[in-house]
Amino acid sequence: MSKLILIIEDQEDNRRIMRDLFTSAGYKVIEAVNGEAGVMSAETHCPDLILMDIQLPDFDGYEATRRIKANPALSSTPVIAVTSYALSGDEAKAYEAGCDAYVSKPFRPRELLAKVREYV
Amino acid sequence: MLIKAVVTRLEHSRIIWISCGDRLSSYPRQEFAELSGSKEKLEEYSRTLEQKVEERTRELARSVEELQALGEVSQAVSSTLDPETVLTSIVRHAVQLSQTDAGTIYEFDEDEGVFLPRINYGTRAEFVEAIHESRPRVGDPSIMGQAAMKRAPNQIPDIENIPAYPFPFVQQAGYRALLALPLLREDRLIGGLVVRRKGAGEFPAPVVELLQAFAAQSVLAIHNARLFREIEEKGRELEIANKHKSEFLANMSHELRTPLNAILGYTELILDNIYGDVPKKIQEVLKRLEKSGRHLLGLINDVLDFSKIEAGQLTLSLNDYSMQDVVHTVVNSVQSLAEEKNLDLKVSVSPDLTVGKGDEQRISQVFLNLVGNAIKFTEEGEVKVEVTSLNNKFFVAVSDTGPGLSAADQQRIFEEFQQADSSSTRKKGGTGLGLSISKKMVEMHGGRIWVGSTLGKGSTFRFTLPVRVEKQRKQG
Repeated sequence: MSKLILIIEDQEDNRRIMRDLFTSAGYKVIEAVNGEAGVMSAETHCPDLILMDIQLPDFDGYEATRRIKANPALSSTPVIAVTSYALSGDEAKAYEAGCDAYVSKPFRPRELLAKVREYV
Repeated sequence: MLIKAVVTRLEHSRIIWISCGDRLSSYPRQEFAELSGSKEKLEEYSRTLEQKVEERTRELARSVEELQALGEVSQAVSSTLDPETVLTSIVRHAVQLSQTDAGTIYEFDEDEGVFLPRINYGTRAEFVEAIHESRPRVGDPSIMGQAAMKRAPNQIPDIENIPAYPFPFVQQAGYRALLALPLLREDRLIGGLVVRRKGAGEFPAPVVELLQAFAAQSVLAIHNARLFREIEEKGRELEIANKHKSEFLANMSHELRTPLNAILGYTELILDNIYGDVPKKIQEVLKRLEKSGRHLLGLINDVLDFSKIEAGQLTLSLNDYSMQDVVHTVVNSVQSLAEEKNLDLKVSVSPDLTVGKGDEQRISQVFLNLVGNAIKFTEEGEVKVEVTSLNNKFFVAVSDTGPGLSAADQQRIFEEFQQADSSSTRKKGGTGLGLSISKKMVEMHGGRIWVGSTLGKGSTFRFTLPVRVEKQRKQG
């Protein structure tokens, strides 16, 4: 059974690049465009891994991660934060919010894939 | 004053000396001979002398007073930036020394063409209000208006002698004599000084001269104050403009990266055959596309970093890192560039380096900048990276066999937007921000960066880093 990845990302191209990358690598992908929808989708689908953009339109990825990790059914689901290179100091904040790993934008698809493969 | 006139007669001299206090006067023998004839005449002469001495003493005392006042005023002009203080001191001294009752310093408002009473001494508020309302202008019959038109001191010894003086409030306040001086700076009217006396009478030339000296000091004070206001304003404007610039650059470079990331992301996916097999010819073109895209991204990142440093928004993320790993990652990423140019890329890292603490990403960026530059500017030979440690510091050296840098270039190469100034290096492109960013990064870690080079023999860039950086250094 192929693993399910939830991509929470508001930017369309980034979503598409990740979707194409992971689909072609044999993963199943579901997407959400904001924090609220992301948390709901995580609760509904219980994905094997979550890719979390930090700059989201409603609440930021740290808050979304905290809500997801607060749910016992999801607390062990790996969350990889994808943060903008422009905001230094995000790494520490990401770990604090409960993220398991950290990838900074601009991500290189190959590197992101390698990072995901460490978990699923 | 008691005068002891000691008359010295010298028989063969034609001059008689009379000593009086500390003053020695001489008189022709003839005149003295006539005087000496009568006792009364001598006494009268004595009295005249006494008066002269008194007068002279008063004059001297006044001169001293005037000099002191001018000294005080000029010191105030040169040391006080607050024009209020300086002008108040000027008008007070002017009134006191000219033995008048009131004085005003006007500032000339060029736009409105009127004199505005700026500083007043010895006047009532109603009087100042009345001046305001009368709006003295150049050429009008007011004392100030006339002085301004003549561009010279102007006086009215007795206002009563002027039939229907058009400013009745002056007489109502009890003033009889007026003296006005225009304040001119390089022939430009900037204000005026007026003193008013309740007693009628001509202002003697020495008083006019003295007030001219005060007028000159007032000109300086007003001019200094204007300059100071202007500089302050410009400084504020500049600060705001600079802040806007930094914010604009930070926003803009961030906005530019978003679409560029998409371009690079799709390119990489296509190259990895995720959308199907790509013919070799298209692959080659895509690789060039990717390379150019990465180059553009690097330039944008430089501008972003620079604007963040400028805006004081760059914070280091301090964590443990392995210096060996940093060097190897950097060397791996530039290996292909060195190979393309047939350059020998040598690495020498002390095996005993301990775990560092710092911003690994930023330290890698410094390495990448220095090694990248070395490869970029070297056409043949080698590029060498060496890392050692001593006294809790890492010592890094990146040396090349490139064209080298002149002494002048070595000085300015770490400044923003500066590149070594020769056509060969201009062709290599770049923002000219790389080294200045590296310098800031190293300094934020509490380290130092410098270069040594001989033209034609290559360059060695060196930097130090504390092994454990616990706190980010403020950028001055």
